[in-house]
Amino acid sequence: MNGHPGDILSALLDGELDAVEAARVHEHLEACADCRAELEAVGAARTWVRGLPPVEPPFGFYERMLGPVRRWARAGVAALAAGAAASVAVVALSTPGERPVAPPVGRLVDAHSASASTSGDPLSEFTPAATPASFDR
Amino acid sequence: MTGEGSPTWEEIAREHGRFLYTVAYRLTGNRDDAEDLVQEVLLRVRRGLETYQPGSMEGWLSRIATNAFLDDVRRRRRRPVELLPDDPDRVLPAAASAEDALATDVLPDDVQEALRRLPEDFRAAVVLCDVVGLPYHEIGEALGVPVGTVRSRIHRGRALLREALRA
Repeated sequence: MNGHPGDILSALLDGELDAVEAARVHEHLEACADCRAELEAVGAARTWVRGLPPVEPPFGFYERMLGPVRRWARAGVAALAAGAAASVAVVALSTPGERPVAPPVGRLVDAHSASASTSGDPLSEFTPAATPASFDR
Repeated sequence: MTGEGSPTWEEIAREHGRFLYTVAYRLTGNRDDAEDLVQEVLLRVRRGLETYQPGSMEGWLSRIATNAFLDDVRRRRRRPVELLPDDPDRVLPAAASAEDALATDVLPDDVQEALRRLPEDFRAAVVLCDVVGLPYHEIGEALGVPVGTVRSRIHRGRALLREALRA
């Protein structure tokens, strides 16, 4: 290998090099303490970021955004479930408290439309294995 | 998930809400901007601006989030730059003798703060790689840059993070 691997060190950690490239980098690392230190440094940063925990949205965050849509949808479903004719559905939908609510999303979309732009590696001694935090659903 | 066409945003919120919020928070570095970014992602989905390609839903969402984030960064660059940290309550980590600290000694809040201080292009690449877990070629597609550029941004981003957390 000519010169130091540089950017390729992170690619090595991420398994983004083919076997030939990886072998060349390993060969270089055997002989170059600076690159071993650099590998250790970026490996530490990689481990830290991968170790960051999932972040919980504020309580009710999505519900606040989606709530009116749900009420609107529920009203429609309730009307249909009653086995009602269209006229009955209209009555049901116009019942106080179950009135269809225009989703604020629709308004946001309109507002947005107006303004939007177009728009198996032996390196474990250097870097403890780490994978991005998983997200339970 | 309907399995065909774009997912509804209710499905996204229910099944990927925490994931999407996490990516938005890691990109923006604060809750207010993260909330705005999540909302922008859902708007783009709802308006059909982003075509869903069957595959990794989280990869797709993070691509939209990253593009929306970088669009916003470009817009903000036309306005005066905000130089102060946006969370006045936050205590910056004191310069410590972290030189010989083990990786496990670094606090998540400090990692987040260092991430927030990275140049946005580097931050986007690091988040897509180390938070989302996308391979380089998908990061390149998401950012519209060659794989060589992805490699460079990830490596330089990590080097800057390490440097920031060493001091």
